[in-house]
Amino acid sequence: MNLSKLSSGRGSSKATSPLSLIWIAVAGLAIIVGGILISTVTPLIFPTQGSAEAQQIDALFQFMLAIGGMIFLLVQGVLLYSVLRFRARPGDRADGPPIQGNTTLEFVWTIIPAIIVVIITIYAYQVWVSIQSIKPNEQLVEAVGLRFAWIFNYTVPEEELPPDLDREALPANVLASLNNNGFMTFSSPQLHTWVGQPVHVRMRTEDVNHAFWIPGMRVKQDLLAGRTTDIRFTPVEPGVYRIVCAELCGSGHGNMAGEVSANGDLIGAWLIVHQDEEAFLREFLIPERDAVLFPPADPALRGRQVINNYACAGCHVLDDLGWVGITGPSLNGIASRTQRLAAGGYSTMEEYIYRSIRYPGEYLVPGYGNIMPAFNPEPGQPNYMPEEDLEAIVAYLLTQE
Amino acid sequence: MATVTAPLPGARVAEGRRLRVSEYLRWSVDHKVIGVQYMVTALVFFIIGGALAMLIRWELLTPTLDVMADGTAYNQLFSIHGTVMIFLWIIPMMAGFGNYLLPLMLGAKDMAFPWLNAFAFWMIPPAGILMILGWFVGQAEAGWTSYPPLSTMFSGDGQTLWAMSLHILGLSSILGAINFIVTIKNMRPQGMGYFQMPLFVWAILATSIIIVMATPFLAGALTLLILDRVAGTAFFNPVQGGDVLLWQNVFWFYSHPAVYIMVLPGFGILSELLSVHARKPIFGYRAIALSSLAIALVGFLVWAHHMFTSLTPELRIPFMITSMIIAVPTGIKVFSWLGTIWGGKIRFTSAMLFGLGFLSMFVIGGITGVMLAAVPFNIHVHDTYFVVSHLHFVLFGGSVFAIYGGLYHWWPKITGRMLDERLGKLHFWVTYVSFFFTFFPMHLAGMLGMPRRVAVYAPEFQTINIIISIASFVLGISTFILFYNMALSFARGRVAGPNPWRALTLEWATSSPPPSHNFEGDPIPYKNPYGYGTESAWAYLEGLESKFGPSAPTGIKRLPPAPPRPQPAPSGD
Repeated sequence: MNLSKLSSGRGSSKATSPLSLIWIAVAGLAIIVGGILISTVTPLIFPTQGSAEAQQIDALFQFMLAIGGMIFLLVQGVLLYSVLRFRARPGDRADGPPIQGNTTLEFVWTIIPAIIVVIITIYAYQVWVSIQSIKPNEQLVEAVGLRFAWIFNYTVPEEELPPDLDREALPANVLASLNNNGFMTFSSPQLHTWVGQPVHVRMRTEDVNHAFWIPGMRVKQDLLAGRTTDIRFTPVEPGVYRIVCAELCGSGHGNMAGEVSANGDLIGAWLIVHQDEEAFLREFLIPERDAVLFPPADPALRGRQVINNYACAGCHVLDDLGWVGITGPSLNGIASRTQRLAAGGYSTMEEYIYRSIRYPGEYLVPGYGNIMPAFNPEPGQPNYMPEEDLEAIVAYLLTQE
Repeated sequence: MATVTAPLPGARVAEGRRLRVSEYLRWSVDHKVIGVQYMVTALVFFIIGGALAMLIRWELLTPTLDVMADGTAYNQLFSIHGTVMIFLWIIPMMAGFGNYLLPLMLGAKDMAFPWLNAFAFWMIPPAGILMILGWFVGQAEAGWTSYPPLSTMFSGDGQTLWAMSLHILGLSSILGAINFIVTIKNMRPQGMGYFQMPLFVWAILATSIIIVMATPFLAGALTLLILDRVAGTAFFNPVQGGDVLLWQNVFWFYSHPAVYIMVLPGFGILSELLSVHARKPIFGYRAIALSSLAIALVGFLVWAHHMFTSLTPELRIPFMITSMIIAVPTGIKVFSWLGTIWGGKIRFTSAMLFGLGFLSMFVIGGITGVMLAAVPFNIHVHDTYFVVSHLHFVLFGGSVFAIYGGLYHWWPKITGRMLDERLGKLHFWVTYVSFFFTFFPMHLAGMLGMPRRVAVYAPEFQTINIIISIASFVLGISTFILFYNMALSFARGRVAGPNPWRALTLEWATSSPPPSHNFEGDPIPYKNPYGYGTESAWAYLEGLESKFGPSAPTGIKRLPPAPPRPQPAPSGD
């Protein structure tokens, strides 16, 4: 690099003097070391590294931050040096030297950034291929996004049912599912898996576009109306990870993220990573499965259990279950709101609550819009809620006075 | 207070004249009037968009919904904030600079199509009002990106007004761009080939090419959106055979080039600022000129990087490649600008401070842009505050800083008055620091898990949000330092004289403000718009002074010119 063309014309040293070369080497070293130092903050600015994907993405980011840090230090350094060294002294009205350019230098600062972006591109491509790949023995969970909650549907095939099951004693819809499909399903507002298990979530939306994001896993995928989309990740650390909606979906967009209640309970969309498969089965799958297979006899108790299979927590407050949804009217004391019977043209509270779920647009509590989805009686319809579940839920809500 | 000095015997002096407000409130085909109309209108919408931002930041002081009535009201805030800032502030403001300066820089009496020029401007105020009126019928709430089905099925009627308003603004933009292209092609003076044009003119040329090629796609998307909303069509309704990704692709096919529409003129302004205020030629003129065209071209090939989490997975890598490529011409510019100030004689005028601030902040936006191009990282930070941070670093730290610098630089030419330099420095420092603390922490919020477009967030983000909000209030207030300075300048600013910065481009070779016909006779451009440091440039500037009166604002002690210096051998391009 021919430095005389960049000199200030004050009779400075000729061409590439050893001193200026040393300064350039020192500055270059400082920039490289500085960039690497900057990149070491990476673990502090990411959430817990919860997945195999997170490990790779964080490493890619650290590499990019190191390079970005070097460019940052280079540019800010040159700027700072320039404003100090090349400021016009008071009263100096002369111009600077008439330097139009330097072909070598311009070539260098075109080629080096080009090489850098090629390297980043190749590295990022490799990470992408790894993240995208289909892993063996994936756990498939279906996710449904709607305004404004998440529902995860789990499938339990016949083989995984308890032995000696008295099929005649099963609830009607469960038996129908086993006979027609060979499996039973149940829903949960939370996604459960275990350490080391590759997860494949197949997603659809009931209404507008949403996006499924687990910051701790570093993966995100939009849910697109009219399509099914997929997301994959493999957790490596046990724990709980917030699930966040990352595509504007309406007034409750922010509420679709998992929350923590006042007494520390998890509400709404969370990923729960159990220690191992045995813990997953023991702490989640078997209790949930059995709650569906052997529901409590008391309809109100059954309703209290079954209501969690639906997305009500996304919009309603209900202290008994720790719900904090603000988009819809509070369900606390719902059974005592007899003044609504006249307003809505209902004859009993039971009818009011029943029809509020099947036909929510029929009567709107003043101050609230018509945005509650209808829960339909037939499988295959959106928001399918079988009649038995609905009756149990109504029985439960009638206990909320 | 001194007025224009007495002319030298025998020399013709173009008298500067005071501006009259009434001239600017009515239809005029004078590009100087239209340019000011664009700029004042844009500044008004800057205030409106800024006020919406203040409401957003006030709401975000707490993790719960405390200020706005409901989530919908909050969503309307940022939807209109973004739309106003893009289509009613930056794009028209840059058009205003282009309109005012282009004929002057080209030594012409006006634009190629003066009537069309006025028509294009007068579409803007009604379109802006139409958008604001949306609040009376249920304001648009689907973000400035307006994705269906949210925008087709759930947003209020204001969404239709929003789309109609954008249609009008897009047409205005296209008409202006046509005017710029024809003016540049046909109305350059003798001796000004394409590679003797000022870089601001190159920037406007590249921008105008983008506008003409991209904006019709926005019009197409908006038309389909309006039809879906009012005419029962199903372009974006999957239940009836439509596709939501159709909107995303067509919208972003325009909206990515749109970001270059917003930033390229800023690059052009920056080239003017740095060269003049460091008294040194632009380093790598040809590279900067051609890289503007390269950015314009490659900018059409990157759009789906805004869709990495919705685009079909197989297409994500190709767009990563194109998005990485476009970093190279931008990097060339940044290094060329550094080369410009290196070794110069930097004068810390307010204009220069904002130019340096641009370099300092835009590079951060450029770095995060390359990070965002990497698909695996993008899928973590897409639709989070990381993106909000990136876009504000390039649009505020880039475009707005360039606009501020341009205002300080050309205010003397437009009004015939100087802005107060001490207030300008105060404006710069308050803006620079508060800008950094407003937007830099957003990178962290996004990476740690805070999505964008939310009024409620997890409590652990509250501290960062409080820092951001307080800094943003200071940033909001800093705008008024400039407005106060402007008012002061009208009331008692120093007379500017024709060429207070002793610059070589043609707009300075006439009085401040210029007469209605811009120049006396046909001006001859100096052979190199950035030829500082040569004897002939010095002689040219001395010649201008003897023709038009003193360059330096009155009150600055004039020193005798520097003695001739031996010139180094011609180097580089």
